[in-house]
Amino acid sequence: MRDLSKPQVMDRPRKSTQNSKAQEAGRKWVEQLEKQLEAATSQFDEALATLPVPHRRVERWKYTPVNGWWRAIGKRAQITAKQAGCEPCPIPGLDAYRLVFVNGEFDAEASDLPVYPGIVCSPLSLVPQTDQAPRGSNSLEQEDWFAALNGKFAKEGLFLRIGDGISLDRPLLVHHHSTGEGCAAFLRHDIEIGVNAEIKLIHWSTASQPSRGVVNISTKATVGSNGRFQLDKVQDEEGHIQHMAFEEIQQAQDSRVDVYTMTIRGQWVRNDASFRLDGKGAHAELNGIYLPDNTEFVDNHTTVDHRAAHCTSSEHYKGILYGKSTGVFNGKVFVRPDAQQTNAYQQNANILVSDQATMNAKPELEIYADDVKCSHGCTIGQFDEEALFYAQSRGVGVDAAKAMLVHAFIDEILDGVAVHEVRLEVNHRLAEKHQWTEWSDHLE
Amino acid sequence: MLKIKELQASIGEAQILKGLNLTINPGEVHAIMGPNGSGKSTLASVLAGREDYEVNGGGVQFNGEDLLEMDATERARSGLFLAFQYPVEIPGVSNINFMRAAVNGKREHQGLEPIKGKEFLDMVKEKAKLVELDGRLRNRSVNEGFSGGEKKRNEIFQMAMLEPNLAILDETDSGLDIDALRIVSEGVNAMRSPERSFLVITHYQRLLEYIVPDFVHVLVDGRIVRSGGKELALELEEKGYDWIKEDAVA
Repeated sequence: MRDLSKPQVMDRPRKSTQNSKAQEAGRKWVEQLEKQLEAATSQFDEALATLPVPHRRVERWKYTPVNGWWRAIGKRAQITAKQAGCEPCPIPGLDAYRLVFVNGEFDAEASDLPVYPGIVCSPLSLVPQTDQAPRGSNSLEQEDWFAALNGKFAKEGLFLRIGDGISLDRPLLVHHHSTGEGCAAFLRHDIEIGVNAEIKLIHWSTASQPSRGVVNISTKATVGSNGRFQLDKVQDEEGHIQHMAFEEIQQAQDSRVDVYTMTIRGQWVRNDASFRLDGKGAHAELNGIYLPDNTEFVDNHTTVDHRAAHCTSSEHYKGILYGKSTGVFNGKVFVRPDAQQTNAYQQNANILVSDQATMNAKPELEIYADDVKCSHGCTIGQFDEEALFYAQSRGVGVDAAKAMLVHAFIDEILDGVAVHEVRLEVNHRLAEKHQWTEWSDHLE
Repeated sequence: MLKIKELQASIGEAQILKGLNLTINPGEVHAIMGPNGSGKSTLASVLAGREDYEVNGGGVQFNGEDLLEMDATERARSGLFLAFQYPVEIPGVSNINFMRAAVNGKREHQGLEPIKGKEFLDMVKEKAKLVELDGRLRNRSVNEGFSGGEKKRNEIFQMAMLEPNLAILDETDSGLDIDALRIVSEGVNAMRSPERSFLVITHYQRLLEYIVPDFVHVLVDGRIVRSGGKELALELEEKGYDWIKEDAVA
């Protein structure tokens, strides 16, 4: 058994997992990036040289194709949301503060920052590095090559400090838009939520057709005692974007965090959400839906690390896979020796609509405490033919019947989304993508 | 209304219906009785359009149209209704939304606009009374967690909402206690009219005391071997199916 007295993250990469071809490709790619982007720091150079560049034999990347990553990086198009024809707020009817980023750059004109007592909210580039959370403190940055890459290159993002007892009066939207060819965008969101403080945050990513490029977003949040953090995260990118998102969330005593990850569109999406429950009685709620079609790829890796007693976590991811799409779910739950009375729940359910779609699902539970309740379940199935026939026998068309079953499946997740307008817009965009108008029309 | 001619159907390797003839005119109530495995439920499934069955002979006309050419949705929209022997649970879809989609599907077929909210709710209230289906059951997910009797009452409620020309009741009485049987039967009887026909499939004569048929047919080994009036049901109750089976072989 390993030594659990020291902090650690699972799957600590070993030198032996390096693959010389992948290392070489990664190194060349970093060189390309260096030519186009000025690095924020050189402190990750060693990590980038020694961490294994992901390939199929690295456990965390077993089902995640990275070959397509090593594509040409071009000059970043300096463009505003307005010039790109991008709506600063993609969610109709939403009353929210917002920060808009285009191709990784802050667009002040399109943004509407909160000026609110007890709250500091600004683009990261305007904050002295000494005030920012120290780079490398994010454990993924020490473990994962792509996270280290973010550490090296990300200069922009959201800087947010919510003072003790403060709650922002409206949600805060962070909208990132990609456009153009060969763009590499790195964002770093640095968030601290105080004791008894509260915030609803929306991360919304879009890309215009025919954009091509990579987006790498790292979010680090610490939530103080009894604090509340709700994050609705929506990925709706057209074109060929390779989207990597890391969340590392640390929770103090009695805090509660809800993260909803909703992938509407995306050629290649990898979400890496990691929760650390440091204080007693903390609760983490992590839920997600993904509905890839054609050759889209969506990967959700989650880690919930129970480090203190009486914490609870509930995880529910649901996927519907169409066409030749591929999905990955990897859910790790880690219960440390001191985390007695942990209650951890994990569920991953999938429907394969097409016989050419693929789902790879893996729950991983590592439990080192003896008085805990941990449960997990995983299903991969098809549409319920009996229910389809039943609906048809009542005169519901087959497409509407399928849409009805899809809604029944995903609404269980969407019902919990923090911001109502987000939920409506996600529903609307999914309906548009999958042509579900018929069922929704019946309910107008 | 319904003309079945020499209908043959199979599932997998098994030939279930072996040349079945039946004609139902508007306003008539026909009962089909028969021993287990005689093909009663297969007949219901084939008529409703379940794709697991292969029709390999004969034909079915419904209101002058070729029923077998239509898919299950079209059959329902043309006025055919099947009350399931085992109603399906659909978690996450409320009974009321389900019915609204069904009603609007039918209206679309008739070239009508989707039903207005108030009109729909009034209709629900009125029809729910027929089978004493309370608000709680109307708003819950379709059949989820319903008792056996509640599921069957829900079937009749759906039938009342869709106002079919021909309703097929597939062993609607199985598993019902006497109170539920009475409620279900009264619901059906309230819907009897000169334009509407019923095909009541049952294993037991008991249901036919409540829903009195005009004709009774006995199905044995994929064929109708005897037809008669309602007194045939009583005879079957008394003597069982064996004498008819023997007759049929002879």
